[in-house]
Amino acid sequence: MGIGSKARRLALLVGMAASALSLTTAAQAAEKYKIFLSMSYIGNDWQAEAANMVKALAAHKNYADKVDLQVQVAGPNAQRQIQQINAMVQGGAKAIVVYPISPTALNQVVKNACDKGVKIFAYDAEITEPCAYNVHIDQEEAGRVTAEWLVDKMGGKGNIVAITGVPGTSVDDQRTKAAKEVFAKHPDIKIVGEAVGMWSQAVARTELSKILATRNWDDIDGLWMQVGCFTANAMQLEAGKTAKDLIPCAGEGSNGGRIQMLPEGTEVEGAASPYAPLGAQRISYASPPYSGALALKLAVDALDGKEVAKTTILPLPIVTSETIKLCEEGTWDEMKAGCNAFKPSLVSNPGWFASIFSDQTPEVGLAAALVGQPED
Amino acid sequence: MTNTALANPVSTSALRRTLSRNSGTIIAGVVFALLLGFVDWVSAGPLTYFDISFLSSGGATSAIAAVGQTIVILSGGFDLSAGAVISLVNVVLASSMDPMAMEASIVGWTLVGIAIGMAVGAFNGFFIAVLRMQPIVVTLSTMFILQGVTLLVMDKPGGGIAANLGAFYLGDAIEGWLPMPLVVIGVVLLLWLWLKGSRFGTALYAVGSDPESAASVGVNVVLVRFLVYVIAGGCYGLAGVFISAQTGSGDPLVGNPLLLSMFAAVVVGGTRLGGGQGGPVGTVFGAYILMMVVNILLVLNVSAYYSTIAEGTILILAVLAGSLSHGSVLATQLRAGRARFAAWRAGMLPSQLDRTDRRLKSFGATGPAAGTLAARPAFMLRHAETLRFALPAYICLVAVVVVTQLVLGRAILNPSYWNSLLVLSSFLAVLALGQGTVILTGGLDLSVPWTIGLSGIVLAGMVSGSDAALAYALPLVLLMACVIGFANGVGIVYLGISPIVMTLAMNGILQGAALLYSQGTPAGFSSPLLRWFMTGKLAGITPGVIFMIAFVAGAVLLLGKTPFGRRVYGIGNGVRAAQLSGIAVEKTLILVYMLSAVCAALVGAMLTGFSGQASLGMGDDYLLPSIAVVVVGGALITGGRGHYLGMLGGALLLTALQMLLAGTTLPYATRAILYGLVVLGAVMALRERRIH
Repeated sequence: MGIGSKARRLALLVGMAASALSLTTAAQAAEKYKIFLSMSYIGNDWQAEAANMVKALAAHKNYADKVDLQVQVAGPNAQRQIQQINAMVQGGAKAIVVYPISPTALNQVVKNACDKGVKIFAYDAEITEPCAYNVHIDQEEAGRVTAEWLVDKMGGKGNIVAITGVPGTSVDDQRTKAAKEVFAKHPDIKIVGEAVGMWSQAVARTELSKILATRNWDDIDGLWMQVGCFTANAMQLEAGKTAKDLIPCAGEGSNGGRIQMLPEGTEVEGAASPYAPLGAQRISYASPPYSGALALKLAVDALDGKEVAKTTILPLPIVTSETIKLCEEGTWDEMKAGCNAFKPSLVSNPGWFASIFSDQTPEVGLAAALVGQPED
Repeated sequence: MTNTALANPVSTSALRRTLSRNSGTIIAGVVFALLLGFVDWVSAGPLTYFDISFLSSGGATSAIAAVGQTIVILSGGFDLSAGAVISLVNVVLASSMDPMAMEASIVGWTLVGIAIGMAVGAFNGFFIAVLRMQPIVVTLSTMFILQGVTLLVMDKPGGGIAANLGAFYLGDAIEGWLPMPLVVIGVVLLLWLWLKGSRFGTALYAVGSDPESAASVGVNVVLVRFLVYVIAGGCYGLAGVFISAQTGSGDPLVGNPLLLSMFAAVVVGGTRLGGGQGGPVGTVFGAYILMMVVNILLVLNVSAYYSTIAEGTILILAVLAGSLSHGSVLATQLRAGRARFAAWRAGMLPSQLDRTDRRLKSFGATGPAAGTLAARPAFMLRHAETLRFALPAYICLVAVVVVTQLVLGRAILNPSYWNSLLVLSSFLAVLALGQGTVILTGGLDLSVPWTIGLSGIVLAGMVSGSDAALAYALPLVLLMACVIGFANGVGIVYLGISPIVMTLAMNGILQGAALLYSQGTPAGFSSPLLRWFMTGKLAGITPGVIFMIAFVAGAVLLLGKTPFGRRVYGIGNGVRAAQLSGIAVEKTLILVYMLSAVCAALVGAMLTGFSGQASLGMGDDYLLPSIAVVVVGGALITGGRGHYLGMLGGALLLTALQMLLAGTTLPYATRAILYGLVVLGAVMALRERRIH
């Protein structure tokens, strides 16, 4: 009994402190839009980078006194995201920016939120409920363009190893199906190995090692990977190949992969093999991590009463060996001028996603993606 | 205890007994009520009927599924296929219902869902009850098979559920008063109470407490176990129907993440893992407590990087609230500490007594003599038990390698095949020592993923490509792992928190720590030496392989030839017996969890070398495999039995199998099914002998 009442008193105390806190913030934020960010699983590099950019945008001087952003994490569980979105609606959200765990499972709660006048903006992946706003790339285009590039590089014949994404997701399904349709048109192209890469360099490495246990690099003429070209090039160097012999690889927009695309011998600060210029034959595409920041921006526009399209298809960020260009500092202005890879001395993690430029988000540059700092 | 029972009238003692027997349930209910009150207090407005209705539907899926899991756990089992069943039912309903038809038969489709669940349960039950195989490995195989089947039914989110199913399950039973989800849960619980009162219910608890005694008093253990899985399957099926109604569509991945939180719900609800104590009512509260965390994090505006830390802390506190009683582990430990202190002051601790040999003279004289008289039994006889459980993994390994040779060629005579096999299995082999030792003591370490992740990230950050830095970074990371393992051990031993909850909460806390340390972007990369260690070649062999061979030898010696190893087996065979025979159970258990954390940190370092960098979530794919290799290698999940060489065989087998499947171009769904079937087949030989 004593313990129970003590616990209750404690709860009361904490509750009072918390409610006092929320009262003051409520008063300050009287004129601000209350916007929530509902993230899914935060434990991977892409998610964290995207969240940094959203936070940076909200902290930018143009938005800081306009937006009251609260970031919440639902984890990988769609059930929890459903409950979280509803709690956000109950908590007085004007708009909710969400990385949807499932394109379909959230439909009911999203509809419910729309009915109450809350704007829902999904970034990167899509929500199929018609009242939601979606901001993402065309995944089929990504699969098709990269596959066509690879077929072209291989001269229309040879053996391909494919490393796909997370099975059972729409994004993976659309990309892989589109790519396979392209490959199917060329009878001399053969997929000799296929593995699930889970959009992770580490998994790509394990899976490629498994495939290569019974194969030689010489038997493979092309790689189509959703994530993993950086790793694949590193593995070829370990196996004794020279930079000139690297197999053409269609894949993700990691900074490590971009640096490898620079002509061999280019002076780059902080470079060390395999995170170094190799002149690798690559096409690099990405689901850009700025999509969350752009979604927040569009949400504010919508709340301001501006017309916002329900679906914003982002231009597919494609970088090839011909268009690769190194940034000096990574400011937005510099990226606008066309640079698309960052020095290893600035970005020490080669798996970091480099497609952070959008001409629609001058508020966020490299510092935003790395540490959540907006541009001036 | 006896005195008070005698002093009080009979009725009071009966009440007290009921209270203490249901203390877990009652405490879970109280914690839930407190949290609900807290959310109500802190939220802007009072909780309306709409909020309650929404909360009730939010937690219903996991609550219903967790009820099924509770029944399995009460019987002494374990079911990893629960999440996969939910996904399967969801996609079957979404792909075969006509979403345009407004009126679908609610009863019909609900029965379809339950029937699918029960069919899966019968599959599990057949292997577990009739063939007497270990639940964890059977249900793990089932999980893989079902995930494959689910993807065959529907390879991406889509489909539709008729609107009236959603309207029925999410609507009101009594307008404005009683939401339907609560009625559904109520019906499930009523069915349970009826079942509990029946002969089956008694038999269920009896089997969970002690299957041997249950069998000897005439309980049909096989039938009870079989039915348990069928009933649990029915619960998962119903949960699948509910989530379908709730989401109105199909998603092949929807159920998988529910699995771990389901176990947490069971334990928070006061059910003891290993069986015999607790019940589904507490579990329902447990499931809702876990869902309420979402709302609490929101009202307290806990920032993203802290959310998993806050969640882990809430989980630990919720469980600790249950141990604030006289009989709890914490209280017992405090009393024992006081007694030890008093003994120390009185100079009566064993270590303070003079060390004269107090053994009986005759015992000491005949002991060695008896040893020389009896001839040492033959090798096969001495190791018959170990061989029986360790060999199947190796036999299957040989089979898989032969198939690889036949299908893909270039295996048996290809040195690089064997080198890859050893390098790729080295991660699991190292993890198997840590996880295996924990399992030998009857525990489970779920903090492996983020111990790997945090260690790798911290190591890469400190090393940043410098071999010199590696010299101090690696010891520091291992030291950090010791601290993590120590914290796990202390929580489990001294605070009496169940290993599953403690390590699950620790996993969340470590995830938060990794995010905070890296600010979301892990910096740094492996040094050349570390990379060479895992990817270079020394006369055709990767240096890591040589390390692995040394590690295996060390692990076999550690578990087989040292006092520590014998204490581990002693604890696994019975904590009480171990205690009485003078084993320092507390100290040993803490060391066991420290060993597990150190192994995970080693894997973190190895993975960093292997990939050249560390990334968030790099350890996520190693949790279930780390448990699987231990069990496939012949260890008993309830502890006390298993040999490290068997676990090594398990690691080699699973890796070889994955290498075989990766070399083919079979679709992922087919691979998952094959993987599950082979694992199931591999452990057929591990069947328990008949109870009599």
